[in-house]
Amino acid sequence: MTTALPLFGYAVAVAWWAPALLGRLTAGGVSARLGLAAWLTAMASTLAAAAVALQFLARSAVDGWDRLAEMVCRSVSGQPCTATAYQGAAVEFAVAAIAIVAGLAAAALAWRYGRSVQRAQRQARAHADVARITGRRLPGDDRAVVLDAAQPVAYCVPGRPATIVVSSGALALLDEPQLGAVLAHERAHLASRHHLLIALTRGLAAAFPAVPLFARGAEHVARLAEMCADDAAARRSGRGTLIAALLTMATGTAVPAQALAASACAVAARLQRLAEQPAPACRARYALTLASVTVLLALAPLLTAGLASR
Amino acid sequence: MRGFGDLEAVVMHRVWDHDGPVTVRELFDELARERAIAYTTVMTTMDNLHRKGWLARVKEGKAYRYTATASREEYSARLMREALDGGGDTQAVLSHFVDQMDGEESEMLRAVVRRLAERRPR
Repeated sequence: MTTALPLFGYAVAVAWWAPALLGRLTAGGVSARLGLAAWLTAMASTLAAAAVALQFLARSAVDGWDRLAEMVCRSVSGQPCTATAYQGAAVEFAVAAIAIVAGLAAAALAWRYGRSVQRAQRQARAHADVARITGRRLPGDDRAVVLDAAQPVAYCVPGRPATIVVSSGALALLDEPQLGAVLAHERAHLASRHHLLIALTRGLAAAFPAVPLFARGAEHVARLAEMCADDAAARRSGRGTLIAALLTMATGTAVPAQALAASACAVAARLQRLAEQPAPACRARYALTLASVTVLLALAPLLTAGLASR
Repeated sequence: MRGFGDLEAVVMHRVWDHDGPVTVRELFDELARERAIAYTTVMTTMDNLHRKGWLARVKEGKAYRYTATASREEYSARLMREALDGGGDTQAVLSHFVDQMDGEESEMLRAVVRRLAERRPR
């Protein structure tokens, strides 16, 4: 009990306060990779603290079981207990009930989440299979196929084998270096397994919509993953080329207004970040702050548990 | 040629390039001119494609005549719908280079670019 409470307190504090701090630190996408690490560490740290607290709670429930059983036996056989014994038993009972309900809820959430990820993966695999048969090979990248479609579209489908799909509309608009930048961006997504991070954080957001860290974390992780892939593409093809490719693809043709209004803002943020590279000193300061926050978040649950169990 | 999956693509594109139905023999003759390939390989591939729903076939004498169940354009259109239609399960797994946007959003983006260009004359 005494260890579980501080750990729960820590989890709640991080879950409610970290989003504002991390959101501000990672807003501009300076050191996108460190920003991504900070968000993920905050989530992992919260989950770990909550899980360990839950485990302590369950253990204290198990430890109290003997006393509870003894008291029930005595009551049944007509030997009344003291009032404190009954109070103690009530607490034990409540703790056991909480531990069981929380454990069951966690299991149910994990199961439902696993199923939805599986379904999405199956559909993506089917999508990639059809794309690989329907599409034409794109010379130069044996994972990339070209589909006949007027809209400028480029995306990657993870899986074995991973597939990058480029529409003929995109090919018509992009020059060769720009196409290289687009492919480098998609390859970076595949190489860094961003889809796993995004699936994981989206699942957490769906499971805990009321917890700010998870509810807001998913979109930040997705945004920073895009920026990481941009960095990889910019290193390979140059920032100017990537900016041109982004602009071409984003404004190439007018698409029916069903798309999200946020997409323009997101692209604008990516463009702004690529165009306005901050001074090295400023980058270093951001990197240092993010790194220390990350380390702190990683160590804090251990410290809390260590101090509480003294 | 890397794997069996690739051969399926090669065969499908050949079938699409034909106007009418095609037999294994006809396709084998075409392919054999360009690469070392066994008749039975072509036959198995076409049989697989039939099983997966890509090819329909009618028996004519001793052989089957195969046709594509849908055109290349229809498959492409279906894939594009799947890739662009937000909210689907597949959508959650795909990583788009940029999200699609409408005219107004494009205008917003151009405004940002103009602003950036003014701030940093090159």
